[in-house]
Amino acid sequence: MEILFQLIVSGIAVGMIYGIIAFGYQLTFATSKTLNFGQGEALMLGALVGWSTIRYLLSLGLSPMPAYLLMIPVVLVFGMMQGAFVELLGVRQAIKTKSEAGWIMATIALGIIFLNIAENVWGRDDLSFPSPLGNTSLNFFGVRVLPMEIVIVFGAIGMMLLVELFNRTSIYGKAVVATAADRDAAQLMGINTSRVITFSYALSSMVAAFAGIMVAPVTLTGATMGASLGLKAFAVAIIGGLSSGIGVVVGGLILGITETLTGYFISTGYKDVPGLILLLLVLSLKPAGLFGKTAIKKV
Amino acid sequence: MAIKYVLLAAVLSAACAGAVQAQEPIKVGLSGPFTGGSSAMGVSMRDGVKLAVGEINAKGGVMGRPLVVVERDDEAKNEVGVQVAQELINKEKVVATLGFINTGVSLASQRFYQEAEIPVFNNVATGSAVTKQFPAPNYIFRNAAYDTVQSAMIVEEAIGRKGFKKVAILADSTNYGQFGKDDLLKALTAKGMTPVAVEKFNVKDTDMTSQLLKAKEAGAEAILTYAIGPELAQIANGMAKLGWKVPMIGSWTLSMASFIDPAGPNADGAMMPQTFIQAPTTPKRKAFIEAYQAAYKVDRIPSPVSAAQGYDSVYLLAAAIEQAKSTDGVKIREALESLKTKVEGVVTTYDAPFTKDDHEAISGNIPVMGIVKGGRVEAVDMKDLEGDKALRVKPKG
Repeated sequence: MEILFQLIVSGIAVGMIYGIIAFGYQLTFATSKTLNFGQGEALMLGALVGWSTIRYLLSLGLSPMPAYLLMIPVVLVFGMMQGAFVELLGVRQAIKTKSEAGWIMATIALGIIFLNIAENVWGRDDLSFPSPLGNTSLNFFGVRVLPMEIVIVFGAIGMMLLVELFNRTSIYGKAVVATAADRDAAQLMGINTSRVITFSYALSSMVAAFAGIMVAPVTLTGATMGASLGLKAFAVAIIGGLSSGIGVVVGGLILGITETLTGYFISTGYKDVPGLILLLLVLSLKPAGLFGKTAIKKV
Repeated sequence: MAIKYVLLAAVLSAACAGAVQAQEPIKVGLSGPFTGGSSAMGVSMRDGVKLAVGEINAKGGVMGRPLVVVERDDEAKNEVGVQVAQELINKEKVVATLGFINTGVSLASQRFYQEAEIPVFNNVATGSAVTKQFPAPNYIFRNAAYDTVQSAMIVEEAIGRKGFKKVAILADSTNYGQFGKDDLLKALTAKGMTPVAVEKFNVKDTDMTSQLLKAKEAGAEAILTYAIGPELAQIANGMAKLGWKVPMIGSWTLSMASFIDPAGPNADGAMMPQTFIQAPTTPKRKAFIEAYQAAYKVDRIPSPVSAAQGYDSVYLLAAAIEQAKSTDGVKIREALESLKTKVEGVVTTYDAPFTKDDHEAISGNIPVMGIVKGGRVEAVDMKDLEGDKALRVKPKG
């Protein structure tokens, strides 16, 4: 029994990471029907900027916890700027000209450019990220959890709730929701939808950067850390449904837990297979995702 | 590039202060990853090579001609390695090439040298297939402990010396990990054992819980590893998370800084085969360590094994050129296969190390087991390196 719980707990921690990155995909898809395929690189840049910031703060003599907390706003602001940059350079023109695929290539290209920049700035070696809470695991009735894994779960949920709260209560958030509901109507109502889309990209990369600094202390930080996470999160977004915020969380948990359970009960060589089978099933049976709303496209 | 080469030659001849007359230099290629995940090994190897080249030139060079190293970064990428090979062969016209850290790069690149009949000295890459790619006349030589030797040592340490009855294998999904796993399985079978768990993981996996729990539940008393630094660190840290500590015994990559540094205290106790430990157990080793520390201003050599093997490979090649009295590739290969002078190296003393069919200079008796202690690699048992055991020589025949 303990083993099952241990596997589920580890699966939840991994799944929440997938979930929060997928949440970033969902944010831009809602407003613009486009995605940032460089989401994994946004996560990586967030983690590396966080690494440099925390190293600087530690060199000033701060202890790890306050240094980590002070680093968070820096990374969030950086993430927003990076996301806005991606939208302005790669997506805006494609949306304006109603290009079907221009944004796909543009965001992938920007992702590769960010990867190369990161390799040149931070090198190609993996770096170790100082953990604010130490690496000693906590023991709950035989199930062992790293403090940072708990932070990942609650941090991810907290970040998503904050974004949702912002969308529901603030006037800017209402503009986002309106754009998501019907871009043309929102524009007619006087909402600057292109600014809203830029903003959603900024939010999306901010969320990814935040995921980066949460996952960095429990794994290794380096230029290539985002690639496989970004891809897995994309699968999660498809499974959960790109139009549903709750869907990506559930999708993330499903993928994370199936991975660890398959690894233990079937074979670690086939760890990734059930998640991908699930992805294929969802695509063929419910293309909008488990929680997605099927939109009827009138012609 | 031309400028770089002229500068290098100028610096070298200045350093030799007239020891070598204005003779045409002998160009030796050097291919290795000097950036990226394997760079600690690549840079140490390069520094070892340069140290030896400097010493040889100071003593008058080879056949009275100075050695010049033409170094290229292969970035641990197969396709870059191929480009480097073609450049070194066709443009730089090297007489031989030293290097290769990564088995994949080595296998992809050395075909060009074989065709051009230019000898290649693998001084770090360990894949068992490296020297077996071509039938005789084979231009590929090696002075590194290959995987068959390493896996036998790993199994001997776990089963023979430590007496473990249950071991688990954790290997990554790359060629390096999977071929290594096969070698480990063969070595275990030879001892009449089967592992209690054989687990796999991908490079960049963030969570090792499933793999480690399976090993733990199967009652593994030790984990045998075949992977590279960062993921090995994930294993060590994952074990600490699960509150479970059994010895990690694995291939020589457990001595990489990219394992030792991120794993921190969790790395302590990891054991791996080493052809060279940074300890002055022979006069030659003492001189080498001191020269390296003085030349590169470091205390800990980033990858002592790579540095030592890089250093030795230059002396082996120099001895062969001297014996061949020529820089012709065919003659150098023939000289290597029947080397008459004993070459006193850092790793061992090479007494006729190669034959026509055997291109491996390192035999199973040469490496010792190393162990990570406080961020450095030491010998598991210093007695392995004392007295008449200090210098282990490849048996004849």
